[in-house]
Amino acid sequence: MKCRIILWMYSVISVLALLLLLSRENIFVLLALVLGVLLLGHREIWSLIRYRRLPVIDERVRDNLSNAMRLTGILFFITSIVLLLLLRFNVFKGVPVELIVSGEFVMVGIVYLIGYYYYDRVRPNLGKRAARWLKICLITAGLSLSTVALGIVLHNLISYWFDFEEAFFFILALLAAPAVFAVSMLVSLVIYIKGLFSPAGEG
Amino acid sequence: MKTRMKEYRARLGLTQEQLAEIVGVRRETIIFLEKGKYNPSLKLASNIARALGACIEDIFILNDE
Repeated sequence: MKCRIILWMYSVISVLALLLLLSRENIFVLLALVLGVLLLGHREIWSLIRYRRLPVIDERVRDNLSNAMRLTGILFFITSIVLLLLLRFNVFKGVPVELIVSGEFVMVGIVYLIGYYYYDRVRPNLGKRAARWLKICLITAGLSLSTVALGIVLHNLISYWFDFEEAFFFILALLAAPAVFAVSMLVSLVIYIKGLFSPAGEG
Repeated sequence: MKTRMKEYRARLGLTQEQLAEIVGVRRETIIFLEKGKYNPSLKLASNIARALGACIEDIFILNDE
C-alpha cells in the first residue's frame, strides 16, 4: 500500500514537473531533473520494480546517506560560490544560465552517488594501505587543482608587475599541476573501483 | 571487532537474507557485520543477539586495539 502511494506520488510529481518545464521550454533543467531523479532514486526505483517494495533503510544505510549528503552539501556550497563568482565576471558569456545550473545539479548528483557508494561499499572493502593511498591521492588532486588557479593568478601578477613573461608559474599552472591532478585522480579512480567491486562486500 | 554471527546463524540454519528480515536490516549489512567491517549500534547488536539466541558478548568480540 505504502509502496503504491509513493509510486503514485512520484509519478504525479514527475508529470507535473515535466509539464511545467516543457511549457517554460527549460529543456536543460528538465533533463537535469530527470537524470537527477534516476540517479538519486535508482535503488528505490529498482527495488520497487523488482521486489514491489522500498528497500529497508537501516542504521548503516542511514549513516552512509547522511555522510554522502554532507559531502554533497559542502560541494554544492563551494561550486555555487565559484559559479556565482564566474557568472559575476561574465566568464560564461553566451551560455544559458539554465545549462550552468543544470550542469551543477547533475555534477552534485554524481558526486552524491560516488560519495554514497564510497561509504556503502568502497570504505569497508578497502584495506588500511589502500585507504591511506586514496586519501593521499585525493588531497594531492585537490592541491594540484588549487595550484592551477594560484599559478595562473601569480603568473599574471608577476608578468604584469615586472613586465616580462614569467615562465615558472605558467608551466606549473598549465603543465605540472594538471598532470599531477590527472595522475592522482586516475590512481584514486583505480582504488575506488577496486574497492567497489571487491568480492569482500558480496559475502 | 570480530563476530561469531556466521557460526550462530549456521547453527540455526538461517540464511543472511532471513536474518536480515528478522532484524530489519539489509542483507549487505549482515554481510559487513559478519566480516567485521561494520560496527553495529548497541540496539542492532542486541537485536541480532536476540535473533540468534545468544548474548551480545558471545557474538561480538571486541579487539583491544
